[in-house]
Parts: sequence; C-alpha cells; structure tokens
Amino acid sequence: MADQKEIELASPPFDSISSVTFSPTNPSHLLVGGWDASVRLYDVNANDQKSKYDHKAAVLSCCFGDATKAYSGGLDTWVREFDLERETTRVLGQHAESISRVVWIKDTNTLISGAWDRTLRLWDPRAQAPCTATHPQPERVYCMDAVGNTIVVGMAGRHIYIYDARKMGEPLQKRESSLKFMTRAVACMIDGKGFATSSVEGRIAVDYLDPSPEAQVKKYAFKCHRQTVDGVDHVWPVNALAFHPVHNTFASGGSDGTVSLWDHTAKKRLRQYPKFKDGVPALAFSADGTKLAVAVSYCWDDGNKPAAGVGKTAVLVRDVGDEAKPKVK
Amino acid sequence: MANKKKKKATLLPWCWYCEREFEDEKVLMQHQKAKHFKCRNCPRRLNTAGGLAVHVQQVHKLDPDRIDNALPGRDGYDVEIFGMEGIPAPDLADYRRRKEAELGLKLGTLTAPPAKRPRVENRVLSEAELRLALQQHKALMGASDASNPLQNAEATAVYNAAPTTYSVPPPPAPGPPVPLPGMLFAPGMPPPPGLPLPPFLPPPPFAPGMPLPPPGFGGPPPPMPPPSFVPAGGPPSLPPVMEMDFPDDATFSDERVYAPNSNYSNPPLKDGAVLIWTDANLSPEEKRSTEAWYKVTSAVISAIGFQMGEEMRGKKRARAEDFL
Repeated sequence: MADQKEIELASPPFDSISSVTFSPTNPSHLLVGGWDASVRLYDVNANDQKSKYDHKAAVLSCCFGDATKAYSGGLDTWVREFDLERETTRVLGQHAESISRVVWIKDTNTLISGAWDRTLRLWDPRAQAPCTATHPQPERVYCMDAVGNTIVVGMAGRHIYIYDARKMGEPLQKRESSLKFMTRAVACMIDGKGFATSSVEGRIAVDYLDPSPEAQVKKYAFKCHRQTVDGVDHVWPVNALAFHPVHNTFASGGSDGTVSLWDHTAKKRLRQYPKFKDGVPALAFSADGTKLAVAVSYCWDDGNKPAAGVGKTAVLVRDVGDEAKPKVK
Repeated sequence: MANKKKKKATLLPWCWYCEREFEDEKVLMQHQKAKHFKCRNCPRRLNTAGGLAVHVQQVHKLDPDRIDNALPGRDGYDVEIFGMEGIPAPDLADYRRRKEAELGLKLGTLTAPPAKRPRVENRVLSEAELRLALQQHKALMGASDASNPLQNAEATAVYNAAPTTYSVPPPPAPGPPVPLPGMLFAPGMPPPPGLPLPPFLPPPPFAPGMPLPPPGFGGPPPPMPPPSFVPAGGPPSLPPVMEMDFPDDATFSDERVYAPNSNYSNPPLKDGAVLIWTDANLSPEEKRSTEAWYKVTSAVISAIGFQMGEEMRGKKRARAEDFL
C-alpha cells in the first residue's frame, strides 16, 4: 500500500521503553514511559516531544486520565499525576513495591494501579486523600487492561482476576490463565465480550468473559512469535497486546521484534509487519484507530547485555489502514 | 608464535573466531576481514577487531556490538587477532591437541589424555547449555573489575597445566557441559583492562574476593529473601498497606531486596524448542529491576514520600519539578 506511512519519533527515551499509550481524545498525543525514568508526551503528527517529566526510577507504566492528565508508576513505587497543560507533577501515593500497571477507568473517574506488592489500589485524583482503596491480590500484578467497567488483571502464577470497577471489593471471576506459562500481557476486546492474554511462551489465548459453557467453548489459544533458526524452534515472549478501537481486531508484539495483526473471530492473521530491529515491549492504537505506536527496544530476554538499550530504542508510529479490518467473506 | 609449535603433519592456519581452517595465512586474513571485521553499517572492512571497534565508535558513533560469525566466547573485542597472531596460547594449545586427536596423531608431549575435552561445536546450543553458558558468562562479567591477584595467578596457572584445568566440573546441569572457550591469556600477555578473568573458576558460589555479583545472576532461584519473608507458597507476605503508609523500614534496609517469594516451574516444552524467557518466577521487568543500575534505595523512596508529605500539609512550592 502506497499510503502506508511509518515515522520514527525524534528523541525517544534513552533506555528501553516500557509503555506507550495514546490520548483518549487526541489521536496525535502519545505518552511513552521508559526505563530511563522518564515519561514523555509526543505530538506524533508534528513528530515533536512536547513535554517530559522524570521519575526517580524506571517507569513501568503510564496512562492518560482525561486528555489533560497523565498518570504513571514504576520502580520508585509512587503513583504520579502529570498535568499536561500546566506541566506540573503531583504525587498521589505509594505502593509497597514497584508499580507494574496503571489504568484509568473513564466511567468512574478512577485510576487503578497494580503492583508487585500484590495489591491493586484505587485512586481518586480529586480527593483529599487520593488512595481510596487497597485490594490484596493473590500474586504480583503483571498486567491489567480495562474496557468499560470491566478490569482484567493478569498476575504471576497465572492468576487472572476479573473485576467490575463499580464494586472492586470482590472479583467477578477468578480464573487460571488458559496459557501454561507466565502471563505477559492482557488486553480487553473493544466490545467488552472477552480479552486476550499472552505468555512468555509465544502464545496468545482468546478468552470470553461470559462464564456460560456456550461462550466458554469458543475460547482458544494459538502459537505465534516463534522462529525456526537452524532447525531449532525459538519461542519468544509476547510482550504486548492492543485491540483496535474500531475494528476490534488486535495487534501483538513480541521480543522477536515482530508485530502481527490478528482477527480473533475469524482466527486469522491479517498482517505481519516487517521485523523491527529489536524486541517490541509495548504497542498502542490511537483512539480513532488510524495509528499504531510500536515501541522497539531490548526486552531484557538475555538479562544484562552490554550496550543494550541505550541508543537502540525507537518509537515508531504507523498509519493503520484497512489491514486491521476483518476480511468480509 | 603461530608456527612455533607446528608438527610435521602441518597445522593449517585457522581462524580463532570460527575455527575454520585455511590453505595459507593470506586467505585466512581475507576471511577474517570479510567475515569478522566487516562493519555492519558500511562496506568498510577493517584489519583487526580493535580497528573495527574504533571505526564503529568514531565513524558511526555506535557502541560496537559483538564480532560477527564468531563462536560463543570469542566474539569480544578485547583479543587482538591478526591472522594467526594474537591467538591466546591456551586456545592454540587446545586447538592443536584437538586437531591431533582428530588426525589420530600421537599426543606427543602431552601427559594427560584428552579424554573428555569439551568440543566447541558450531551449532545451536540447547536451552540448558545456553543457560549454563550464560551463567558462566555472567560470572565472568561479575568478576571483571575484581582483578583479584589470586584469581589472576590461577588464570596464568591454567596455561601449561592444560587438560586438567579444562575438566573443572561445571555446575551440574542437564545436558553436556559447554564451557566457554577463549578469554584466556598467555602468561606474557597482560590482560586487557576490564576483561574478566578467569573463566573456569566454578561460577555459582560467589568467591569471597569478588565484588557484588551482578544482581539477578544465578538463574532460577530468586534472590535471597530477607528472613522476615514467609516461605514459598504462603499467603501474600506484604500486608495490605492502607492509605498513606510509608515503607516499613524494617523490611527495607538500605539495599532493598526484592523477593517475590514464589516457586513456580514451567511445564515441559516441546522437544527441540528453545524458550527465550525461562524464569517461571520472575518477569523480565522484575529481573531487570534487581539490576544495580535500576535499583532504587529506600532513602530515595522515602524522600519522595517526605516531599509529598510536605505538599499534603499545604506548603506551596513554585514548581513541582523543583523537587521531583
């Protein structure tokens, strides 16, 4: 396709990227958090870094609140709020361990943070004491995604808990991951019917929220992000999942440096993009579905490597056209 | 140096990086230029590894990567190879002995039989082998700035005492042991600064002389949990902290120890497949967070808390960035 455009953002983070997310309203605003302890806001149309704010340690997750506020958390265990217009930061509160995910729930105006201290915390940024509740979890929270009021939490030990944002006291469902290996990422379908999870063992599962047997028979898992080198099957972690906000298809990114688009209803791969120069730790679609942000950086799969990370990270923003549309038969 | 120990059945020139043989040294040099000292970013070919490193750094402003097409352990820039020149003596001796054995020649002056001399094969290593190699490599890296005289002495002792030192039992692991070749230096040659020595000390238990081992090193067993942690499989060890609790200084000493305290294992993988992330208890991010570079001390964390406390009490500051 001739109109396919991919731009690489100028001034990416200095170290690996942990999280990318688009503004809920402005399709050109992209937030990028990284291991260099920064959260950066880019205007992807102008290819310009608009602002940046620093943590004391690596950032593991960032998200938008409404269009003017951003939230982030990471190894320094504090939840921060960043006012994008006034460029001021505020500390909301703390976890006992590194924060792995922050997710904004629009309907209830709540920020939910999950951490390796085995808790989810709820934050109301407007309140005097922002932390409104703490919910213990069975394991370290690795990943989390939400659609509407449904929150899916992926934890160590392959626990998957599903919550309703309006009553967080008790999970709606407690599940074991459909995958046999450590959960890496979770993403909710746009229609709220289900979610996809991925594991370190090159596999993605598509699950449905409806616990009835009729709905549950539809769940399935498939292999991906594998590569045969010299007759040996290399199995890469699938680090990132993101659903397309219009077509409800999803993209997956792995440490092998590939990004694929999948149609989960037809069980078909729609597109595999050319291999990127390093692993893909994070992905995000813009709110209108016209852009896909792909973070490219070392994902620590080989542990500490000399000269890994620095200078080798990139944030690529691709125009997404009809390739994300499910094929009509 | 190259021909010094040549036997009557001639030892052909060979490439230290990939152990390929050549008709003569001219061809070998051409091979090295083409295969190992070729710049990835431009058509330029350099004569030596050092030359390539300087070229990549100065011309392309990049960090030199590993040397292309090299055997594991021989892909570093620290050994200056030019044709047959500069090959570390132990490697040369080892190679010669292997060649002799291969050709069925008398082992000559060698006293110990080359019974189970580890062969370096140019093939894809199995998962267990890779892990072992990585462990050894990490141990090497951890020892890098030690330059412990005792260890150096042992390293030099390795040369000449050859076969026995090669059979230092590696830590038990499934699959055949694959020691890392190379990285040994002839006694006369001073080790380049920053290059780890010696490779064949049994890696896992941290030698007393070693500095801080690289965090996250040691594979599957998670870092030592502090005594206050409950045993694996127990209830969540961190009580749900309510509201604005600051970190409990009893659990965080100055060096915070991250101990996730779980004991999962991966199910068996299909034969022949290589799993890239093998740790069932720690995610890549968790492993990475224990790395010294990324570590956050409790002092930093409480400092943020202190500032936030002030803010909560209503002390107005002109700019939030001033203290963040």
